[in-house]
Amino acid sequence: MRQRIGPTTIIGSLVILVWCLLPVVWIIMLSFKPAAETAAGSPQFLPQDWTWDNFQTVWEDDQFRRSLFNSFGISFISTALSVILATLAAYAIARLNFKGKRLVLSLALAIAMFPVVSLVGPLFDLWTTFGLYNTWPGLIIPYMSFTLPLAIWTLSAFFREIPWEMEQAAQVDGATSWQAFRKVIVPLAAPGVFTAAILTFFFAWNDFVFGISLTSTDAARPVPAALAFFVGPDQFNPPVSTLSAAAVLVTIPIVAIVLLFQRRIVAGLTSGAVKG
Amino acid sequence: MAEITMNHIVKEYGDGFKAVNDISLDVDDGEFMILVGPSGCGKSTLLRMIVGLEDITSGDMLIGGERVNDKVPRERNLSMVFQNYALYPHLTVYENIAFPLRLSKKFDDKTIDSKVREAAATLELTEHLDRKPANLSGGQRQRVAMGRAIVRDAQAFLFDEPLSNLDAKLRGQMRAEIARMQRRMGITTVYVTHDQTEAMTLGDRVAVLRKGLLQQCATPRELYQQPVNLFVAGFIGSPPMNFIPGRVKGDALEFPFVTVSLNPDQASAVAGKDLVLAGIRPEYFETAELVDESRRPSGTTFTAVVDVIEWLGNEQYAYIPFEAPEAIANQLKDLARELDSDSMRTRLVVSLDPMSRVREGEDTEFWIDTPRMLLFDPASGDNLTLKTPAEAGATT
Repeated sequence: MRQRIGPTTIIGSLVILVWCLLPVVWIIMLSFKPAAETAAGSPQFLPQDWTWDNFQTVWEDDQFRRSLFNSFGISFISTALSVILATLAAYAIARLNFKGKRLVLSLALAIAMFPVVSLVGPLFDLWTTFGLYNTWPGLIIPYMSFTLPLAIWTLSAFFREIPWEMEQAAQVDGATSWQAFRKVIVPLAAPGVFTAAILTFFFAWNDFVFGISLTSTDAARPVPAALAFFVGPDQFNPPVSTLSAAAVLVTIPIVAIVLLFQRRIVAGLTSGAVKG
Repeated sequence: MAEITMNHIVKEYGDGFKAVNDISLDVDDGEFMILVGPSGCGKSTLLRMIVGLEDITSGDMLIGGERVNDKVPRERNLSMVFQNYALYPHLTVYENIAFPLRLSKKFDDKTIDSKVREAAATLELTEHLDRKPANLSGGQRQRVAMGRAIVRDAQAFLFDEPLSNLDAKLRGQMRAEIARMQRRMGITTVYVTHDQTEAMTLGDRVAVLRKGLLQQCATPRELYQQPVNLFVAGFIGSPPMNFIPGRVKGDALEFPFVTVSLNPDQASAVAGKDLVLAGIRPEYFETAELVDESRRPSGTTFTAVVDVIEWLGNEQYAYIPFEAPEAIANQLKDLARELDSDSMRTRLVVSLDPMSRVREGEDTEFWIDTPRMLLFDPASGDNLTLKTPAEAGATT
């Protein structure tokens, strides 16, 4: 039944690959060029002198390291909190009958549909009043509220797929509801949990609008916002190669995490059905 | 180990539908009780009420003399095998079986290990302990589910149609396996099935349910020979019992195709009735030529044309159509529908000796063992020839 891969498929894939990866490769090339080369009119594709200098400069920059730390911290905390809350909420939505279930679901969807930009202004005012401006929680809270709806929807779909009998069997076997949830339901929903985690982490890691509007110093500024302030010594000559190096560095963790989680997701999906 | 007592158990759903309606049933300590009935009769609901997965609307459920209505499943200490096995796909066979032991927190790792290995050895699962359920065959999964049930010292076993996902051959093997284990462990067992072979072979007693009502609870032998009504009579036995409308004429009964004489017991049972339904099991028929001369006068012979023959080697079935009054025909059709067996027209199913050379479409002389025939009231469905237990004991 296996279809043979024809030449058109290969050519098509190549076109798409080039189309998607060209900008990425371009940034990588830029990051290896010395500053003089990027400033010289139209630089060629491959660097003439390969250099690690840009990476070194970026890495030795305290501001960059600090913002990297901020980004990691904020993204991980909001991912963890969001996934935990979403798991509990989604379980309740999938399994229990309570008043206002539809309301919770539609409200969650409504929140997800709100444009981020429209909230930045009010949030800025709120946060300065509450003293949350330029703090980690000040970013974690909006990240969570924007990723929770998606996580809840994804996870409740996963929970609904798990047969009721699993849980009932666990209860008959002597588990409390909480034990049945923790030992049977959550492991079975692991692919869903990881999907939700990835989505949340991406949102938090890549966010720029909140990052630049709700922070003012290194205390909480995440990498994407910090890069915008990366001016270098000459205001009129942006340090393109250094910025590219920073961008490459920032992308590495995302790629690593995707590869890591992806393996878990596939493992979870193939672990097997219930009956034959 | 405990007896299970059900007192006027009712399960009523929000829309007022009673899935289980006033069932009282005692399961003795160590007894193998079967709950049987067509789909939707409430047998699974009743089982789930015993284990605690379904709330009890009213009535008392006692396990080991203790009222458990308000106890959650894990406090009842029962083990259950689900229809789809409900194995934990993320755990190995070993961990699946060990799951209830680990939850109880009463055992150390060494005790758990020895218990799991013992259960696995009983069920011939030792070589599969490290595998995941997804990599097992249906029969192996079934055995893992059983292993999970027997590994701990539960008060009773509950089975919810455990063999319905297996093919016929494996079902036979597992049936024998379940019977063997239950006898050996001597543990109280409640077993839900719609398969009457399982019901008849496994159970000490069988409870027949219909639309949430308990029809009869008796030994398989008694159910077969002394069904209390048309429903039980039609449900137990395969091929099912034949129901033939008969007009009462003194001590004779007029069937559409023959008139049979009744013995004094039967005659007094139908006295005063106009129309009754006679229940005759397929094996109460025989081709007249194969019946001993000495036995022949006790029954009745008649001639009929055989429609279809099914020869199975160890026995053969002949189908003989007959005409029934419309009202009765409709009633029989309703009954058939309720029993999940759709028979298109009124006809006799007759079990014959495989040696008899009956041909389709030919006139054949049959013999009916009329003294063993049961008589039912067509309106209420009650068995008019039902003997009291003492009488039944005397004849069987």
